[in-house]
Amino acid sequence: MKLAAAAFGRTFQFKDLKEVMAKANEEKSGDQLAGIAAEDAKERMAAKLVLADLTLGDIREHPLLPPETDEVSRVIEEAVNEKIFAEVRNWTVAELREYLLAQSTGNEEIRRISRGLNSEMVAAVAKLMTNLDLVQAASKIEVTTHCNITIGQRGILAGRAQPNHPTDSIPGMTASLYEALSYGIGDAVIGINPVIDSADSVKAILATTKEIMDKWRIPTQNCVLAHIKTQMKAIRSGAPADMVFQSLAGSQDGNAAFGIDVRLLDEADELIRREGTGTGPNLWYFETGQGSELSAEAHHGIDQVTLESRCYGLARKYKPFIVNTVVGFIGPEYLYDSKQVIRAGLEDHFMGKLQQLPMGVDVCYTNHMKADQNDMDNLAVLLAAAGVNYIIGVPMADDCMLNYQSTSYHDIATLRETMRLRPAPAFEQWLERMGIMENGRLTKIAGDPTIFM
Amino acid sequence: MNPVIPIDQLVDRVMAELERKLAPSNAATAQTAKTANPMPDIAAALPEVAESITDGERIAHVPDPKWEEGLGELLASTPARIGVWRCGTRPLTKEVLRFRCDHAAAIDSVYGTVDSSLLDEFGLFTVETRFGNTENYLKRPDMGRIVTDEGVERIRSRCAAKPQVQVVVSDGLSANAVEANLRDVYPSLMDSLQAYGLSAGTPFFVRGGRVAVMDPIGDILQPEVLVLLIGERPGLVTSQSMSAYMCYRPRRGTVESDRTVISNIHRGGTPPVEAGAYIGTVLKKMLEQRTSGVNLEL
Amino acid sequence: MVRQTEERVTKGTQPPASAEDRWITSVGIDIGTSTTKMIVSRLKLARTSGALSLPRYGITERLLAYQSPIYETPLRTGDEVDAERIWRILEREYEAAGIRPAELKSGAVIITGETANKKNARQILHLLAERSGDFVVATAGPDLEGLLAGKGAGADDRSRAAREAVANIDVGGGTANAAVFRRGKPAGTVTFHVGGRLIRLDAFGTVEGVSPSLRPWLNACGYRLEPGRKASFDLLQELCLAMSRDMLDCLAGKAAASRESVAALLLGAPLEPMPVLEEWTISGGIGQLMDSPKPSNVEEAAVHGDIGPLLAHSLKEQAGSYPAIRLGRPAQTVRATVIGAGMQTTEISGATVFLDAGLLPIRNLPVMKVDLAPAMLQRSESLEDLLERTMREGASLFGSEASPPFALAISGLQQAGYAEIQRLAEAIAGSYKRSFPGNRVFAAICGEDVAKALGQALERRFGPSPKVICIDQIRVDLGDYVDLGEPISGTMVPVVVKTLAFHRGEEVTDG
Repeated sequence: MKLAAAAFGRTFQFKDLKEVMAKANEEKSGDQLAGIAAEDAKERMAAKLVLADLTLGDIREHPLLPPETDEVSRVIEEAVNEKIFAEVRNWTVAELREYLLAQSTGNEEIRRISRGLNSEMVAAVAKLMTNLDLVQAASKIEVTTHCNITIGQRGILAGRAQPNHPTDSIPGMTASLYEALSYGIGDAVIGINPVIDSADSVKAILATTKEIMDKWRIPTQNCVLAHIKTQMKAIRSGAPADMVFQSLAGSQDGNAAFGIDVRLLDEADELIRREGTGTGPNLWYFETGQGSELSAEAHHGIDQVTLESRCYGLARKYKPFIVNTVVGFIGPEYLYDSKQVIRAGLEDHFMGKLQQLPMGVDVCYTNHMKADQNDMDNLAVLLAAAGVNYIIGVPMADDCMLNYQSTSYHDIATLRETMRLRPAPAFEQWLERMGIMENGRLTKIAGDPTIFM
Repeated sequence: MNPVIPIDQLVDRVMAELERKLAPSNAATAQTAKTANPMPDIAAALPEVAESITDGERIAHVPDPKWEEGLGELLASTPARIGVWRCGTRPLTKEVLRFRCDHAAAIDSVYGTVDSSLLDEFGLFTVETRFGNTENYLKRPDMGRIVTDEGVERIRSRCAAKPQVQVVVSDGLSANAVEANLRDVYPSLMDSLQAYGLSAGTPFFVRGGRVAVMDPIGDILQPEVLVLLIGERPGLVTSQSMSAYMCYRPRRGTVESDRTVISNIHRGGTPPVEAGAYIGTVLKKMLEQRTSGVNLEL
Repeated sequence: MVRQTEERVTKGTQPPASAEDRWITSVGIDIGTSTTKMIVSRLKLARTSGALSLPRYGITERLLAYQSPIYETPLRTGDEVDAERIWRILEREYEAAGIRPAELKSGAVIITGETANKKNARQILHLLAERSGDFVVATAGPDLEGLLAGKGAGADDRSRAAREAVANIDVGGGTANAAVFRRGKPAGTVTFHVGGRLIRLDAFGTVEGVSPSLRPWLNACGYRLEPGRKASFDLLQELCLAMSRDMLDCLAGKAAASRESVAALLLGAPLEPMPVLEEWTISGGIGQLMDSPKPSNVEEAAVHGDIGPLLAHSLKEQAGSYPAIRLGRPAQTVRATVIGAGMQTTEISGATVFLDAGLLPIRNLPVMKVDLAPAMLQRSESLEDLLERTMREGASLFGSEASPPFALAISGLQQAGYAEIQRLAEAIAGSYKRSFPGNRVFAAICGEDVAKALGQALERRFGPSPKVICIDQIRVDLGDYVDLGEPISGTMVPVVVKTLAFHRGEEVTDG
């Protein structure tokens, strides 16, 4: 494995793959905080040059986190198809990039090759791609999934209704949900982040969302984003959950900090298949985001792009209905400004899609980041062009419980109109029956939440 | 048990009341009186102020709602920005501007500073962390956890060592939170210490602090318990929210789960004066149980 | 998880802290004109605030654990209940339910209908105070009875799903208590002299007795009914239908309360304006009889020795004949009131309060109310004047010998900061000591979450005496009586608010 490159009149020598991977990243404050980022722009380019010439075999043979000590590595390693890997093991990362972007490479080809790649290879190729590369390559990949309805088809942009409330007030959540539905949002999921992490509270929220779905015959799925153990307790006591949710990290000890491991996920998987209310086969919702491993001091000197890719390798095991990266939630010490957030959003979406995940993105920022709503408009348009499965819908983009800004009901409606995208077909038919949408456009009554009262 | 009123007297009183209410004519008067005199309008007693986009009352803009009254009910049930209506698929101009105003307030509170006269009011001297400047503070939270050498020296020379309770205030991510809440939280906290018979050391202010700055301060002063009042990451609903972090014997290496926290302290959330009063209760329990965070039973 | 920490790194949740559920046992006893019944319910207390907020608990589940059979109310003579025999019923039922009175944390006895008179109430109050759980107490009044029955029948829940109002009419032996709910909140109550036992019959239709309370209506309508005389099936049927029509017309807003026959049927004031109804349900003994076969002759009608079955079917027929108002099925019929009483009367105070557990429980504490405007909290003099007047008024209403003489209900502290709380404490302490010198306990109930701060401020001023009980997040009003129970976990207090007069719009809502 060649770890040196000659450039700018000198030789850059890197000590291992981990260092190359980290320094080949676009600038991220999180890698700087971890002390693993490139010193300067030249060193960054040198690392990219080295990375471009490494083979996929090099990457697989030099695991950043050995499967013997890390169960996330084990899950990823066990999923690699050896026959397909053998076909590509001598490809360089540069060749992989060019293959993905070739006109002759389409959805089917990518789907096949993805089975021979591990998460580190996926991260490596992302590091060599420009933003527009990431958009184009991702836009080729179609990942459809089915819980109660199908989403992810080409030309479809779904939305998660996220009607959170600062004290988990059921009427308050219901009010925001009515508003979402009246804008045609909620086909990805009706998903609520609770303040109170108790089984009773989760059960009450699930029951309410289910009741509204039943009353208005809404073709969608519900989920409450509490800790997995709390959801399991609620489901065991009879709560109607179409899906289960969990946040993932890209290392075993990162997951330990979330209070989860593969065994627990397996147990939850079995429970939702046996006692969930969703049709399936896709019954999981995962969230990820660059930087969470570093914040838990569980990064092992690995850069945040690679660790993020490893989250997707883990998520893939459970055939989720939806996955999203909460890209700008984590704060400026991991993604400092809008430039870094936009880059991370495109990387995550591409890396997830290449691992055949139904990727959505929480296009978002916090108030201590150097970003504003205009930056979110930009990223949302880029992701819509890249074929993102869904984005998040919050009233006026302002989440009054989690205290950050995401994308709004209006934004999703606008992206659909301007980019000629449609809601999930089953959901659109329902919107037409309700008189909210006609021929893919909102009608006069759209935006009136009282139609559900 | 305190002196109990003889049951006879009580019964007589309850029954007198009951009879009064049961009598048709009286009941009628009582009921109409209630209807005619609703709760006194407290808004009327407030001085008039110029209408501001940032604190104006929320009103729905849906032009022809299916159920007008229901719309009011929805708005009253949540602080979320609903009933906002649209032009095409975009929000109305006023709503967009209101949103941007709230964001502007939040940004400014991150980059603001706490007025020194407020700190003087409570006799708080100031030390700094190695944060350098706001940009660095945001990128390097580790620097906000280290007090400068000069600051360490000042703490050593000015503070009583090994206090039972050490109180520290920091701007954190919102100087505005300190400005808005310190006058309510701090004296109420001091009263609660007194109520529980706890003694406090010498309080001070940390500029550019992060939560874990509690640990090095713990090493220096060795308090039994430490309370850090610190500005939270501002949201759009308010940029004035403060947290109180409490820890039993904080030292280097203390983990997050060893800290007990009360968050969302501001006048629209956890009432500042009540939060201050409750801190004494929590500290008392920490001292009794000799632990804090997830192991503390409240 | 969590919102708004200074440093937070994931939108997902942390492992849940183990939160143990707490249950309290509550009992409801309904001693009515014709029947007596009791229920035991289990109320689940769970934390309703996030891990990073001040603790707050609420009742998140109300389970019906036991219901007694329906007993005929033991009467000594006429309307006088036989307290001893009631006690024997209760003893048996406590045993059947497997509870000891000492376990009871909360609950209510409600003496309803025509039995709700001073003599009965006094007897039962005495009996229960001496022998039953420390916390079971008597309360009465048709407004409260109607409200409790409405809640027990589920009308409050049904109204949440309706645009217009939903009424439940609880029809028993002596009175019909209608409670109207709109969007989940009580909008008013009305009581009528309509009941199954107002006219008593023998098996052949001979009138055995007519309640004096029905006389004005009979006269207004021109019906002549004398004890000892036979009444025809047709007449009884016509009479029941007319009675039903007058009551339902009034509730439907179709008849002014001034219509002579309607006025004669009303007990107390009508509801004005009467909310537009979308649905009504009928509970109580008569509600239950609506499911029995319709009587076709006098013998069938008089099977219970009164007009109950006829009234039930007249009501059913009449209630279904208003095109705009749906006749719904109540969740409970004959036990609606007792279930409402046993399950819906207990509230939980805020969990940051100020109290001395040794002072609790306190029963039947009257409420004195003071509403504060923000501007008032800024001026010490006007605040002191107001408190001075309030204390003096309290002393004249409730006397000054009890400790505490009343609970001071304080509202309007939403925006109160440290300075305002100190000013208020100063005004309270001064005026209390002047009006109640030597009194050993002071009690306050704040609407807003400030009890701990106010309690501490008061204690600093009062010193060792009087001792302070200061709880919050309970809405009460002048005219209410409250029971403050033994603290749960030392941090919160179960409270039973006994509203003797109905008051409008006082329900606390979410958010």
